[in-house]
Amino acid sequence: MRITAKALLLTSSTFLSATLLSGALLAQDATFVMPARDVGAPSYNPIKGTRLNAATTLIYDRMVIQDADQSFHGQLASSWETTADGMSWTFKLRPNVKFHDGEPFNAETIVWWVPKFKGTENAFMTDAIDKVEVIDPLTVKFVMKNPDPNMLFNMASSFMGVPSPKSFDALGDKFGVTGAVGSGPFKLESFVVGQQTVLVRNDGYNSASKLSVNQGPAKLKKITLREIAEDSTAFLELKTGGVDMLLSVPTDFLPRLSAEKGTKVVTLPGTEVYYMPMNTSVAPFDDIKVREATAFAINQKEILASLFGGVGAEANTFLISGLAEAKVDPKLMISYDPARSKKVLDEAGWVMGSDGVRAKGGTKLQVKLWTQNGTEFKRITEVVQAQLKAVGIGADITIFDAATITAQYRKKTEHQLAVRVYSWANADILDWFFAGKRAGHPNHAMWVNPVSDALNETAMKGSRTWDERVVNFRAYHENLLSQFVFAPIYQPVQNFAYSEARISMPATVRGTRLQSQTVVDIEKK
Amino acid sequence: MAASTTVRTILLSPRGGLSAIVLAIVIICALFAPLIAPYAYDIQSLRNANLDPSWKNWMGTDEFGRDLLSRIIYGARTSLSVAITAISISVAAGMTLGAMAAYFGGTFDRIVTAAVDLTWSFPEILIALILIAIMGPGLNSTMIAISIAYLAQFTRLTRAQIMALKNETYIEATRNLGAGHTHIIFRHLLPNALTPVIVAGMLATGDAIILEATLGFFGLGAQPPTPSWGAMMSSGTAQIFIAPWIIIFPGLAIAITVIAINLFGDAVIEALDIRNRLRDS
Amino acid sequence: MLNFLLKRLVLLIPVFLVVSIIIFMIIHLVPGDPIDSIVQIGSTPEQKAELTAKYGLDKPLVIQYVIWFGKMMTGDLGEAIILRQPVSSLIAQNLPHSLILGTLALVFSTIVGIATGAIAAICKDSWIDRTVMGLILLGSTVPSFWLGLLMILLFAVQLGWFPVSGARSWSALVLPVLTIGLGGVALVARVTRVAMMDISRRDFVMMLHAKGVPAWRINLQHILRHAMLPVVTILSLRIGWILGGAVTIEYVFARPGLGSLLITSLNQRDYPVVQGCLLMLAIAVMLGTLLGDVVQAAMDPRVRERTS
Repeated sequence: MRITAKALLLTSSTFLSATLLSGALLAQDATFVMPARDVGAPSYNPIKGTRLNAATTLIYDRMVIQDADQSFHGQLASSWETTADGMSWTFKLRPNVKFHDGEPFNAETIVWWVPKFKGTENAFMTDAIDKVEVIDPLTVKFVMKNPDPNMLFNMASSFMGVPSPKSFDALGDKFGVTGAVGSGPFKLESFVVGQQTVLVRNDGYNSASKLSVNQGPAKLKKITLREIAEDSTAFLELKTGGVDMLLSVPTDFLPRLSAEKGTKVVTLPGTEVYYMPMNTSVAPFDDIKVREATAFAINQKEILASLFGGVGAEANTFLISGLAEAKVDPKLMISYDPARSKKVLDEAGWVMGSDGVRAKGGTKLQVKLWTQNGTEFKRITEVVQAQLKAVGIGADITIFDAATITAQYRKKTEHQLAVRVYSWANADILDWFFAGKRAGHPNHAMWVNPVSDALNETAMKGSRTWDERVVNFRAYHENLLSQFVFAPIYQPVQNFAYSEARISMPATVRGTRLQSQTVVDIEKK
Repeated sequence: MAASTTVRTILLSPRGGLSAIVLAIVIICALFAPLIAPYAYDIQSLRNANLDPSWKNWMGTDEFGRDLLSRIIYGARTSLSVAITAISISVAAGMTLGAMAAYFGGTFDRIVTAAVDLTWSFPEILIALILIAIMGPGLNSTMIAISIAYLAQFTRLTRAQIMALKNETYIEATRNLGAGHTHIIFRHLLPNALTPVIVAGMLATGDAIILEATLGFFGLGAQPPTPSWGAMMSSGTAQIFIAPWIIIFPGLAIAITVIAINLFGDAVIEALDIRNRLRDS
Repeated sequence: MLNFLLKRLVLLIPVFLVVSIIIFMIIHLVPGDPIDSIVQIGSTPEQKAELTAKYGLDKPLVIQYVIWFGKMMTGDLGEAIILRQPVSSLIAQNLPHSLILGTLALVFSTIVGIATGAIAAICKDSWIDRTVMGLILLGSTVPSFWLGLLMILLFAVQLGWFPVSGARSWSALVLPVLTIGLGGVALVARVTRVAMMDISRRDFVMMLHAKGVPAWRINLQHILRHAMLPVVTILSLRIGWILGGAVTIEYVFARPGLGSLLITSLNQRDYPVVQGCLLMLAIAVMLGTLLGDVVQAAMDPRVRERTS
């Protein structure tokens, strides 16, 4: 007994001193905190992974990357073109690129890479590609099954980071967990899920895009990315100098952080929308009048101003406002109008009761309002509850964990209202959340309607070019808005914060997120 | 010692008297919250969010501009009702189980003892978290989860009490007179074992208040806008710098209540002189 | 002694079987499933069904249990569905953190608890006794997460003495150890105090006094030593707490550990990890109980005779 206890103490103390040493700070070593939503992302396998964290783009390069204005720029691809019918895409590849394991990147890599997506959770992104043809060692042609106007958007996603074929095949299922080999500006040194990732500089890096100032290897030598689930803890770490940068800061910390000396907050356009689907298959939300009244009872302005100090934007449609498909007929936008809410409810026969809750034929307008664990969900939901009450709709809140709420949605008739958020920068999210075939989960609105489904089908399958796709999705989007199947609430921005004393940041942050194109320019002071 | 003398002894002892006053205040707050609280607990005023303590709001306001003092007063309702209900269920079930195990003995006793030994050593918080995951969030499932988490403690205690009593002469005499099992258990054994278990239950109510707060801190338990001390602290962590009182005051409320419960329990134990019987389990 | 130990070990086998069934089944009672967390936006129901089959979750529960139990007997706890690593390596990553935190907290509360309990017992009913016991009571009646948050505010933020969070240095251990340790002091101190007071009333102590042995010697050498028995018993029963009870503190200080691994996996319904963690805890609890019995038996021969 005594020996085991001793041995145990011995192993744990060596363990601790090892972690102690690795925590020592050297010049050009920086410590970042991962975005809270990335905590627990299990692997760096871009092909098979379903959740990838913020460090992924530092390890892998992509064919193209997207700037904040939604424009596309080459990284591993130097140029590209498509035919008028959308049935083929030709990519010219960047020369002299090597993976971290020394393997070359060329047309053969792409021929190997695209079919790897078959049978994975990410298969839909390359579904439209029939086959990849090699034109010359640095030119490939995608022959399409059907036009995919969304091709460049898909190619710019984190899941399209190109891994080294040799290492990928050698590591098998362990790829992304015990090792991750790409051609990006940093190499993976160690990764413990839920705790931290250590990256070291790729000294041979030469594939920076034109979005970066620095065209050579990154300036930082080593980056430790810690995973901290609790935002307030991460904030305290930055404040006390334990870390140099937070890759995400909840909006309610902004006033406090801006007041903090030596801390700089940078804001990028967001990709998230908070919204409230209404279960259109159960009473009272099977009545479009009640849905209309509910939608117009939400005071987006108050939520933006009071909960988020004016940072971010009101949501008045389902999509982030940067997308062309969000530019709908202004008459269809959903924006706070309590008079309209009350009028519609009066017309529908819901009479205000003495307790401030309306009733009709003995039935009270008392509904279930669900949300998930999380500070921002809880705050928004509590305000929504009060706002609904103001027009005479009583709501009972239940806060579930993510897995339970999904199980509840699948029952289809249990839920009524829910406060949710999604993060996606493309109009095809409408298909995911409102297609009739997905009623229950993820179509929480239970919206099954032939007209809407036909519009969706046209947008998803009947578009040949990007412009056609925009027109078609806009029509589908307008149709959904006119049916009040959800209430839009709030569009957050992405915030990150760093210590000005320790980090120097390039003048402009390029890209839709803080990714490799900006990180290669970051320097330690 | 007559009951009234015992009560007098408890109340006249310095800690018994003081803690009884504190507990009385907390209970009155819980019972008459609508009359005592200066404001409603659920009326939001987003313009007045996170205000410092002032004459208008003695403990300041929370992130929705609701009066913190009023929410703490209403919170006493949630905390006390959850803790007391949960522990009552737990005591009742534990006594029945413990008495049956001790009285019947044999395989049944061995199974109960093994189960109790195992769960008794399992952290209550983990038991409660798993049970709430199964039952879904809400006040009812929180109460049930807490009562199951403490079940082992009362089963164990009751069993030990009954074991000590079982072979006393008068019980054997009753059995020889032809009394049924139910009669013996409920009429003779349990009443005698009652006092230590009730006192232990009272002390456990303090632990249950803390457990409820911890579950509230994890976002389980009472659903908004119903105030609960733990949930208030949980949402306060985001405001820890702007408005530290949002976590400080509910924490103090818990600490004061639980200390009072413990001191009162100690006074009762002393007055009844049952420390040894409590410890023997 | 060996005979006693063997007997107890054999008794544990049926208990272990039942426990393994409960542990396996309990996570399936929780609504939701792990596959939902890994399907991507845009994927089809068929792809979901494929995944369900891939992880064997489409088989009847009994079959799943038999497979799991069989593998467990060979030391294989399976592969995490969400975290995509062998469960055993996840546990190996987290267990040392729990052990070191739990052990240090236990050592802290034992030393401080015994010392304060002894002081209180020796100075029974004086103002020292009351003050010491009062302070200790305060430490055990506040929610630990609250104490932790206050400590972070004071020692990490205001004074800057210790890191706010994490597990990357020894100094990061100080605040969590103190937070958990303070909670445990009261228990140990109370048990020590009462036990010492009991023993000091026994005949042999009276005799020692009569013989003229100095009071400090009686207190330390005889009374305190005898008072250790109940203390050790209580502590050995707390092994479950050492490993899993720190979950709240792990959360507040953003520390890895068995408790936080269990809770994260429970929320994601990562079945194999939840089962693995619960199994570890249950084994630890059973061994702790056994250890308690053995220590009791070793210190007090009467226990050995009664049981064997």
